[in-house]
Amino acid sequence: MHNVVERLLNLLAFLLTAERPVTADEIRMTVAGYDRGSDEAWRRMFERDKDLLRHLGIPLELRPTDAWEVEHGYVVPKDAYALPDPGLTDEERAALWLAAKVVRIGGQAAGPEALFKLGGAPLAAAGEPLAADLGVDQETVAEAFAAVAERRRVSFHYRDKERKVAPFGLVHRRGHWYLVGEDGVDSAVKVFRVDRVTRLRAVGPHDAFRRPEGFRPADAIPEQPWEAGPEDVLATVVFDPSIAWWARRQLGGADVEERPDGSLLATVRVANPDAFVGWILAFDDAAEVTAPAELRRRLLDRVAGVA
Amino acid sequence: MTSPRTARRLNRILAMLPWVIGHPGATVAEVCARFDYTPRRLAADLDLVFVCGLPGYGPGDLMVAYIDDDEVVVEMADYFSEPLRLTPPEALSLLAAGMAVASTGQAPAALQRAVDKVLGIVLPDDPDALVVDLAEPEPVGVLRAAAAQGRVVRIVYTGLASGSTTERDVEPWSVFSTLGNWYVRGHCRSAAAERVFRVDRIRRAEATGDRFDPPDEPPPPVVGYNPGEEDVRAVIRLGPRARWVADYYPVEVVADHDGALTVRFSAPESVVTARLLLRLGADADLLEGDEVRAARDDLRTRIAARYGA
Repeated sequence: MHNVVERLLNLLAFLLTAERPVTADEIRMTVAGYDRGSDEAWRRMFERDKDLLRHLGIPLELRPTDAWEVEHGYVVPKDAYALPDPGLTDEERAALWLAAKVVRIGGQAAGPEALFKLGGAPLAAAGEPLAADLGVDQETVAEAFAAVAERRRVSFHYRDKERKVAPFGLVHRRGHWYLVGEDGVDSAVKVFRVDRVTRLRAVGPHDAFRRPEGFRPADAIPEQPWEAGPEDVLATVVFDPSIAWWARRQLGGADVEERPDGSLLATVRVANPDAFVGWILAFDDAAEVTAPAELRRRLLDRVAGVA
Repeated sequence: MTSPRTARRLNRILAMLPWVIGHPGATVAEVCARFDYTPRRLAADLDLVFVCGLPGYGPGDLMVAYIDDDEVVVEMADYFSEPLRLTPPEALSLLAAGMAVASTGQAPAALQRAVDKVLGIVLPDDPDALVVDLAEPEPVGVLRAAAAQGRVVRIVYTGLASGSTTERDVEPWSVFSTLGNWYVRGHCRSAAAERVFRVDRIRRAEATGDRFDPPDEPPPPVVGYNPGEEDVRAVIRLGPRARWVADYYPVEVVADHDGALTVRFSAPESVVTARLLLRLGADADLLEGDEVRAARDDLRTRIAARYGA
């Protein structure tokens, strides 16, 4: 390992100071550590080293060495390599580190590497008795995030369809990650649940789109699951006294009225009746949709297993 | 293959060098604390840096790196004076973690400032493009404070499965959120056993004034449900629209064909499975499990009766 790290430091020092594209042959002849072995062994070693540099996030680009584009060489652009200094104080770094220790994405905690790059911080011992896991496969959400940051379009598979989307943002709410973006087919802004997205990859150039002025991705995500949908139904529900507190807590700002017997009468605007029925059923027979009749029928069909 | 250890070592060197270059006179202790080094590992990395540099590789080309008395010295390494940019997964993990904790409203102000500063370099044009919102049900604050201070809390809890409400004294060890739900794990004095409670089913929580000593090694903050001997089992066929169930519950997948998934489902009480089946409607079929079938039919009858159907 000693030799590998040495060789990579030499290679990176050379690339960062070359200020021009350098060919693979030049690297082999110039950089310490590459001057041994057969052609085949050298190629394998160089491929591995390039993979590692890219894995670390080092922007290694291939560019023509001259205007005739006969030869290509490697460049590490200084401005793409370097992290702009965000000017964190030690207190801010420590707070960030503590947060990173307790929050996971799909079971994976952030390693210390990111914080080291920001100037390091004394590693906190287990402090807060608090923890959170922001579910979902970390790889997909990280790919989506890269595309958001670089403003590149993404293609992915979602509900039996291939989509191409301009990703405007990522929002985590109520335990789910949502990708908000403009669908390439009908130019409508849509919300996709990231745990249902597969085969996501960025396609096409950077800076490929602009978000509409003043558009906030968080506004596209409803507070309640039944608020996102194509329908518009005004439902009234009665919750029994025993579970009224639990309903009230979940209904947030909805229109609720406590009745003398302790039961709760709620009037709720429903855009997604399926999601609403699913929620009501969590109350077993202690809640009853009283209107409209159509929604009562849908609930009973679901309970009977015919819908 | 290059080992992850090589990657980690190189990463740390590329982060440590710029900081030392930017902070002349930094001590060994300071560098070690910041970058999680032991003095021995730090010395080893500096030795390694000392033999690297630019082509020529003579005294004027190599970097200079050593420990002088107690001071870390790095010279002739200006090309490493800036840290490497964050990779997207690194930036996301750090920001999401910071935003999640900040959204609970109980984080120090420094955290929100840190998040804003990092957002400023990662998403300079679209700071709104990433939002992490960890909504907290009411009692989370009380429970967190009690866990931090080692105080016993009295909770009024409505069981998910049974629906019955009890009052319990609990020693809260940790409060955590996973897949959108908050939980508190601790020792329940009333049950004289370790328990996990869903926070949104806790109607009231208040400190009793009693104190407790938390265990030296509290269990990890996960909802570690291991199907036990006493559990009620069922085999369920999940249609394409109900496949998500396999991601949310600890099921064993028996078969996967034509978009449908057949799973073995265990739960501590049959009503949990019955409730899920009703919620899934025509998207799920119960294939095996007499106890669950009885519970489902009972629940069906009760709901139908309530609706006068």
